[in-house]
Amino acid sequence: MRNRFFSWILFLSGVVLLIFTLIAAYREMTPEWKKYQAQYKEQIIKTAKDNAVRQKAGALASEVQQIYLGALNKIDRCVSCHIGVENPMMDNAKLPLKQHSGDYLKNHPPDKFGCTVCHYGQGRATNKKEAHGIGHDTHWDFPVMPLKYIQSSCTQCHDYEMLGAKGYDTIAKGAKLFTEKGCRGCHKLNGIGGALGKKLDIVGSQPIAYFPMRFVEGERNTYNWHKQHFADPRVLVPESQMKISVKPEETDLLATYVLSLRSGEMPKDYRKIKGIMTVGKPDEGEALYKMFCIACHTDGKQSYFDEIFNRTIPAIVNKAFLKTADDKYIKKTVEEGRAGTQMTSWKTAAGGLAEGEINKLISYITKERPSAKPERFNIAGFKPDEKRGEELYKVRCALCHGKKGEGELGINLRNPVTQAADPEFLALTVRDGRTETPMPAFGKKGIGLTEKDIADVVSYVKTLSKKK
Amino acid sequence: MSNEAHEKAEISRRDFLGLASLGAAVISSLTVLTGVLRMFKPNVRYEESTKFKIGKAEDFPEGTVKKLDERGLFIFSKDDGLYAISAVCTHLGCIVNQTDWGFQCPCHGSRYNEHGKVIAGPAPRNLDWHEISKTVDGILEVDTAKSVPAGTKFKLYA
Amino acid sequence: MSELKQSGIDSFKHNIKSAFKSFASSFLRSGKPTSDRSRAAAVFNNFFLHVQGVKTHINTLRPAYTLGLGLISFFLLIITIISGVLLMVYYSPSIEHAYNSVKDINFVVFAGRLIRNMHKWAGEGMIIFVLLHMARVFYTSSYKNGRQFNWVIGLALLILTFGINLSGYMLPWDQLSYWALVIVANIIQSPKELTDSLGITGFFDIGGFSKELFLGGLTAGKESLTRVYLLHIMLLPIFLFIFLGVHFWRIRKDGGLTKPDVFEPKAIDAALIALPEKKGGIFPANKTYGLMELAHGKTPVVDRDVENTVLSWPNLLIAEAALFVLCLAGVIVYSFFIDAPLKELANPMIPENPAKAPWYFLGLQELLSYSAFMGGVGLPGLALLGLGLIPYLDREEQHLGIWFSNKQGKRVAIESLIASALVIIGLLAFVINFGWFRSWWPNVPQLLITLINPGNIWVGFMILWSVYVIKKTGSTRMGAIALFTMFLISYLIYTYVGTELRGPNWDFFWSRSEWPIH
Repeated sequence: MRNRFFSWILFLSGVVLLIFTLIAAYREMTPEWKKYQAQYKEQIIKTAKDNAVRQKAGALASEVQQIYLGALNKIDRCVSCHIGVENPMMDNAKLPLKQHSGDYLKNHPPDKFGCTVCHYGQGRATNKKEAHGIGHDTHWDFPVMPLKYIQSSCTQCHDYEMLGAKGYDTIAKGAKLFTEKGCRGCHKLNGIGGALGKKLDIVGSQPIAYFPMRFVEGERNTYNWHKQHFADPRVLVPESQMKISVKPEETDLLATYVLSLRSGEMPKDYRKIKGIMTVGKPDEGEALYKMFCIACHTDGKQSYFDEIFNRTIPAIVNKAFLKTADDKYIKKTVEEGRAGTQMTSWKTAAGGLAEGEINKLISYITKERPSAKPERFNIAGFKPDEKRGEELYKVRCALCHGKKGEGELGINLRNPVTQAADPEFLALTVRDGRTETPMPAFGKKGIGLTEKDIADVVSYVKTLSKKK
Repeated sequence: MSNEAHEKAEISRRDFLGLASLGAAVISSLTVLTGVLRMFKPNVRYEESTKFKIGKAEDFPEGTVKKLDERGLFIFSKDDGLYAISAVCTHLGCIVNQTDWGFQCPCHGSRYNEHGKVIAGPAPRNLDWHEISKTVDGILEVDTAKSVPAGTKFKLYA
Repeated sequence: MSELKQSGIDSFKHNIKSAFKSFASSFLRSGKPTSDRSRAAAVFNNFFLHVQGVKTHINTLRPAYTLGLGLISFFLLIITIISGVLLMVYYSPSIEHAYNSVKDINFVVFAGRLIRNMHKWAGEGMIIFVLLHMARVFYTSSYKNGRQFNWVIGLALLILTFGINLSGYMLPWDQLSYWALVIVANIIQSPKELTDSLGITGFFDIGGFSKELFLGGLTAGKESLTRVYLLHIMLLPIFLFIFLGVHFWRIRKDGGLTKPDVFEPKAIDAALIALPEKKGGIFPANKTYGLMELAHGKTPVVDRDVENTVLSWPNLLIAEAALFVLCLAGVIVYSFFIDAPLKELANPMIPENPAKAPWYFLGLQELLSYSAFMGGVGLPGLALLGLGLIPYLDREEQHLGIWFSNKQGKRVAIESLIASALVIIGLLAFVINFGWFRSWWPNVPQLLITLINPGNIWVGFMILWSVYVIKKTGSTRMGAIALFTMFLISYLIYTYVGTELRGPNWDFFWSRSEWPIH
C-alpha cells in the first residue's frame, strides 16, 4: 500500500518532469531570433526579383549568426536578429530587419567591425533585452547608446578634422567646448589639469557603479548621467563644487565628448590616427586661459563671492591688481597655487603646465597692465610691531579674511605664496585697496590707516601661517 | 629471568631491518607529504612588486604630503623624518582620501585619524605604516609588504 | 566426422541467434526479479545496488520518519555532478575568459541556461537538505548505538558541501564572485585579529599565511581562480566521494537506519509484509538464513525471523526512484523559472556595497561583523566541535528512532526555540541600536572585543542553557536537544539577518527597498 503512494509520486513527478522537459526543449528550440530570421527569409523570397536569390534565401539556415572579431576580442551576435543589416532589399523593412542607415557599412564592414564597437550593447547576447542591455537586471554597463552620442565612438579611430570635414561635427564641437570652458581647471586629462575634480582619462569606459546614480532621471545609465551632470552637477552630486554654465543643447555635445574618452586602444590597422585621439595643450596665452582658468575666474576683471566654493574668487585680470602685483608674484601663485583654497598648483609636477606655457599665460593675464606705477611704500623703513598689527587685524581684516587668515569673503592669506610675497606688495594692496573687488583702500585716501598701521598689519599677516 | 631480559635488550637483525625499513618508509612519506604541502605555497606572485622606489629625498620637501595613487600610499615629510601611511582601506581595499582630520574612505565610510587609527566605519584595522629605506644608490624605497609600528619615521639626516 | 561438423555449425548458428539473450544474462545474472529469491539476488548481485541491504525495515520506508532527506541530498548531488560535468565542456577557468564563457553558456549553448540554473539550484539545495538531514538524524537519536562515527563523517560531509558550494560561487568571475572571494580571503585571514592583539603576528602570522595559500598571492587574481577551480572540481569532490562511500558503508555496518525499539507495523504496511515463498525444503516457511539478512542485532539470529522487513526490490527501489524523479522535477521546474544570478564583470576598482558572501555564509558574516577572529574561526570552530561531540557527550540509549525522543523532548525543543529566538533577537536589537564597545569607548583594546562580543555572548548562553536543561531534566539527551535546537535557530536567524536585514556598509535596514541607491 505504501508502494502505491510511492508509485503515485513517481508517476506524478514523472509527468511534471516530462512536461517541463518538453516545455524547456520547446523554449530552447524557439529563441527570439528564429522568428526574425524566418520573417527575413519570407520577405526575401516574396520580394526577390532574381530566382537565384530566391533559391539562396530558401536555403538559409536558421542558426545563431555571429561576427567573431579576434583582433577586437569581441563576438557580436546582433546579426542574429538584425540579419538584414547589410541587405539593400531590407531598406524599407521594419526593425530589426531593416538595413543599416547611411553608407557607414561601406567603410566599416560588419565582419571586420561588428556592431558593439560603435553602438555598445551586449554583443554576446541572443535576446533583445540582454543584447540591448535594457534594465538594471541585465547588469550590463554599456547599453545600446542613444544615437545622439554615437560620434563618441568615432574618435577611437578618427580625428576631429576628418570627421568635421564629412559633416560629423558633434564630437568636434564637444571637444571645442571642453577646451574653452575651462574644464581642465579642475579635471586632469592625460596628467594635465587641476586636482579638484576626478581624472577624466577613461571616464567614457567607467561602469555604472562608478557614478552616483541616485538622482538620475530616467534610465540609470552613464549616458543620462553625463548629460544631467553637465546640466546641473549638484543635482547628481550634492557636494560637488563643479562650476559650469552651458546651454541645454551643449550638454549633449559635452556628453558626446566625454563618452569618447575611453580606455584601450583600437588595433593599429583599425586606427586612422596615431595613438589616441586627444585634446592637447594650446600654444597660446588666451587659449591656455580658456582651457585652465576661465571656469573659476571668468574674465578675471572682477572678483566675486562663490556660494559653492564658499570663497571669493580673486580678480586676476584686474587693473588694480596688475598695478601692484609683479610678474614674479603672479607666476609664483600660478605655479604653487594657494594651499588651503581651490586654486590649484600648475607647475609641471602638479597641474602639468610647462614653464613656457605658464609664461604665455602670464603675458596674457598682464596684457592690460596699466603703465602707471603706484606710489612706493617704504615698508623697510618701519619697525614692525606684530602685537599692534594683530589688534588692527582683528578689527579691520578678520571680518573678511578670517580670524586665522583662512579667507572667505576676502582671500586666503595663510597660503605659502601670499606669505612669501613681497611685503611692499601687501602694503600697497592694503593701502590702495583693489577696485572692482570688495577690498577697500585702507590708506589715507580711504579708511585712513597710517603707514605705520599698515606696516604693522603686514608684519602680523606674515605670521598667519604659523598660527594653527 | 636475566637471560630473558638480556634477550629482550638485544634486537634481532630481522627486527632491526624491519624497523629500519618502516622508519625509512615513514620518513620518506613525511618528506613527500611535506613537499606536497610546500608546493601549494607560491614562490612568485603575479602582482606588482611590493618593493618600489619613490624618489630622492629632495622630492619630498619638509611639510608636504605626496599621494602615490597607483601604489596606494601617502608619503608624509615632516621635520623629524619621512613616513609612509598606506592609502588602502583595511575594510575592502579602496583607496582613501586625505582630509583635514585624517583619512576618509569613499567606499563604505571608514574614517581614520591623521595617524591612520580607525575612528569610525567598518574598517577592522588601522591603516598600515610601511617601511621607508634608502637603497645603495641613494634612492628612497618603500616596501608595502613590511609594516612598521605607527609613528616610525625615516630620518633623512641620521 | 560429419556429425561433429554439423553440430559445430549448428551450435554456432544457435549461438548467434541467442547472442543478445546470453549477452544480457551475462550481467543480469539473476534473471527477471519475479521470485523473492531473484528479487534478493537483483540487489545482492548488483555492484551499485548491493550497498543497500536485500531487505529493508519498514520504518526506513516511512516518509514521515526520514522525510527522505538523506536521499534527497544524495540525489541533488548526482544532479549537481552531472550538470557540473556538462558545464565543464564550456566553462573556461581563466580570468580573461571565465565570465564570457558563462555568458555564452547562458546565450548560445543548447540548454546551457537551464543546465547552469540546475547546477546552481541543486548545489545550493544540497546545503538546505543536508542541514535538514542532519536535523532529522539528530532528532531521531540516530547518532547512537554504534552510529557515532557516522555522525562525525556526516559533519565532514557538511563541511565539504559548504566548501564545494563556496568554491563554485567564485568561478563565474563576476562582481559577486570576486567580492565573495575577497571577503572569504579576509575571513581566512581572521586569526590575524588574535595574533595582532597578542602581538605575535610578526613570527606566527597564520592568518596571512593561510590567506596567501588560498589566494595564491596577496590579492585575488588569476592564481586564485585556478586554486578555487581545483578545489571545486577535484580536491573537494574527491574527499566528498571518499567520505560519502564511508558514510553509506557505515549505514549498512551499523544495521541500517534506526528504528524505535517497539515497532508496530501499521495497516498500510500490512500488504508489504508478505510471507516469503518457501516451497519445500526441510525448514519452516518463515525461516531464512543468510549473512545479508540483519535481524534485531548485528548478526543473524537463528530461530528468529527478520521481523518487519521487506524486500528492497521493489519496495525500497520504488521509494528511491520516486524521490529521485521528484528531486529532478523540482530542480528542473525551479531552474526553468528562476535564473542563477550573474552580475557585471569582476571589477577590483569598484567594491560591491554591501560585499556579501553567499547566503549560507551570511550568518557567519554577521558574527564576523562583531569580531573577525570569533566570527571567522572561533565560533564556527566551536560549533563544529560542539556538533561533533554530541554523540560522545550524550550516550543515553533510550528512545532511539523516535522524533524528539518523547513528550519531554518536544517540550525542551520548543522552550529552547523560544528562548534562543528571544535572546538572539534581543542581542541583535541591542547591537543595532546601541553599537558595541568601540562605539562607546573608541580606544578599547581589540582583544576585549574579541573576547566579549554578541557572538560570544550568544554561544555562552547556548552552552549555559543546555547545561541548565541537563541539570533540570537529569538527561544529557535533553541537553543535546536544547543545544542542537538553539544551533539550528541561530543559524536560521543569523542567516536571515545577514541576507535581508543588512544593507550597504552592513547597516541595518528593515527591507531591501530601504537601501540607499548609490
